[in-house]
Amino acid sequence: MTPPDPPLLVLTGVSRRYGERLALSPVDLTLTAGQCVAVLGANGSGKSTLLRIAAGRDTPTTGQAVYAGRGLTQDDLVVRTEIAVVGDMVSTYPDLTVREHLQLVAVAHGAGRAAGGLVDAALRECRLADHGGALPGSLSSGQLQALHLAVALVRPRRLMILDEPEQRLDPAARRWLAGLLSAEKRAGAAMLMATHHTELAAAVADHIVVLGDGAVVARGAPEETLAAIR
Amino acid sequence: MVTREAIAVPDSTGPTLSLLRGLRREHAKQQAASVAYWVYLIALVVAFYGGAQITTEFHRLRHPPLPSAATPRVLHAAPAALAALALLVFLALLRDALWRGPVTLPQVTVDWLLDTPVDRGRLLRPRFRVSAALAVAAGAAVGVVPAAALVSLGLGGGGTGHALRLGAAAIAPAALLFALGAGAAGLIERYPASGRWLRRATPAALAVAAAFAGLAAWAALGRPPGVLTAIALWSGPWGWAVQGMVALAGGPAPWWPAATALLGALAVVALACAHRAAARVPGAALRARARTIGAMSAAVLSMDTRGVALAYGRGAGTRRARLRLRPPRRRALILLWRDLVALTRAPSRLVGAAALALLAVGLVAVGGHGAQVSLVAVASGLALGYLAAAWLCEGARLDAEDTRRSAALPFRFGSLAWWHAAVPCLVLLVVAGVPVTVLAVAAGAPRFLALLAVTVPVLVGGALVNVFRPRFPPDLFAGTETPVGNTAAITVLVWFAWGPVLALGPMTVLVSGAVGSPAPGALQRAVVIGALLAGGLGTYAARRAARLNSA
Repeated sequence: MTPPDPPLLVLTGVSRRYGERLALSPVDLTLTAGQCVAVLGANGSGKSTLLRIAAGRDTPTTGQAVYAGRGLTQDDLVVRTEIAVVGDMVSTYPDLTVREHLQLVAVAHGAGRAAGGLVDAALRECRLADHGGALPGSLSSGQLQALHLAVALVRPRRLMILDEPEQRLDPAARRWLAGLLSAEKRAGAAMLMATHHTELAAAVADHIVVLGDGAVVARGAPEETLAAIR
Repeated sequence: MVTREAIAVPDSTGPTLSLLRGLRREHAKQQAASVAYWVYLIALVVAFYGGAQITTEFHRLRHPPLPSAATPRVLHAAPAALAALALLVFLALLRDALWRGPVTLPQVTVDWLLDTPVDRGRLLRPRFRVSAALAVAAGAAVGVVPAAALVSLGLGGGGTGHALRLGAAAIAPAALLFALGAGAAGLIERYPASGRWLRRATPAALAVAAAFAGLAAWAALGRPPGVLTAIALWSGPWGWAVQGMVALAGGPAPWWPAATALLGALAVVALACAHRAAARVPGAALRARARTIGAMSAAVLSMDTRGVALAYGRGAGTRRARLRLRPPRRRALILLWRDLVALTRAPSRLVGAAALALLAVGLVAVGGHGAQVSLVAVASGLALGYLAAAWLCEGARLDAEDTRRSAALPFRFGSLAWWHAAVPCLVLLVVAGVPVTVLAVAAGAPRFLALLAVTVPVLVGGALVNVFRPRFPPDLFAGTETPVGNTAAITVLVWFAWGPVLALGPMTVLVSGAVGSPAPGALQRAVVIGALLAGGLGTYAARRAARLNSA
């Protein structure tokens, strides 16, 4: 019998205050390999704040964020190597094609000569095979979201932080997304995902945390938690 | 690619940067061509418009003007005045690090490379080196200005050689001061907590600069103790930087080589430390700076001055006070309360406006003192007063930038301009009223109070005309061809400065006439025309506001 995986991401009592406003009350959260935690909540409930802390992009006001046994900060090389963040990517190189963007990320993560193969596979996986030569400015918003997901696929990853990955995707694409994330989880990726889509959370997550006004209002297994908040 | 095991950090920096360079070769060529075009254009403009001036200055350098009667006064004032200017420049260089600094990345590089294991040293240090080199060049260029001023005021010595040595003694330390500023700014970026100290130290530094300016005025008019000048010259890098200039102009700075060497050593140490620290500038700081620069560039491109100010405020983290004012119960007071809240939330605005208003009163008083009124001093004083009024119109500006904000208020949008005039007028009348009353009592001339009462509404009216200006029409750039050239530059300038043009032009004539003449007719003319002008500007601002809302 193989021993259980050690916790990959451990958030202990993390909270975040911006001036006088408490954006996130203390939250505990543990994530191991092959596990997905979905964070649900209305706009402004603290989901993105929690994800920014988990990605090392924000420092908690109280509590501790630990990744693979080390303090979590976006400037740590290990964090940059192992955590893939899918969120709002605001800009693209106006003169580089979709394929070239992906190639850049793959090479930056040490893919070397294998970059071409990885990019082809990611383009196919994200249904962008016909758009590899296009400039990102010509893509639809749904295709741009698929590009952001493809960026995560061309690089090595142990933990994925996904901030509303379903946004701008149509129903068919959301079903595809659920399949993609389930496959990632089966392959051993740990995932922390903020979403407004309860179907996606139910399809992928092992554990659901519901935030309201910056505090945890419910948490537990998907079926019971979703039933409780409905 | 998904793994449960730890992933080895790849050494991918070389291949990544080389791939990016290869992919963006065409873009880099276009960018280089664009830079070359702008350099050419600027050189052409400088040569065309400044050619005669440059020739004159060069001639003046070869034959420096002889000392005049005022030269000894200039020489006495120069140490403290130059130290004050150098301190202000140094402070500006340091504060630049609060929102930008010497290490910045474009947003797209932040988005695509910052989260990768690419070595940040190789990404960021070249940017620091370029910024430091540009700072040194800018410092050298800035150093020419005080040197030229001293030479033109008769302190250039007997010949070209001395004037050139004076120029070198100004340019080299200025370049070193800018290098020190770039190094220190790089360290502030690396250690963001130090920005808090810089913000706290800023008022103290401004007070020191004001004290130096006061010392310079004292030195020009009287004989302050020499130790005070020595303190100004040895108070810090800003003082060290001006000692060479002061010494070669004939001032009291015998240890200037030591001061310059000290400045050079400090600049080298700061640059070396900042170069090493550049690799460790926090990702959060780089993201914030990229966002700020992006927002500011967009605002500049759309000629949105308010957008530029807002982007700067967000980037530099302008402090907001937590003062609370209870909302009034009377409907008529609601807008006054809102304007007061806008001012109390940013007390630095209030303090700055008060300082400008006091300076304005001082300048107008100095301009009106003596046998002949100095138009330049009165105009400068009124311009400072206008700036104070514009700073105090924050409440109006909030409504003008988004007309929906006041939709719930029980006022027509057009009438808001009148309501928004109340708080700035009140503040300026109170702040400027104290020294003007003292002046009026001391001189036994109540006409100063009447002039203040009419000038303040005119300045506020001009500021409100500017606040409620419509969106910038890009076709202004096209201009109109005339026999003396295209009018675009003038029309764009007037479009932005329409409020001050309308307020300052007539008021300069009226105030200088009334201050300079004890005859009651001049005062009556100033008061009557000023009151009409204030009413006209208020009506015009209200009409502009109404049009802005309907656009």
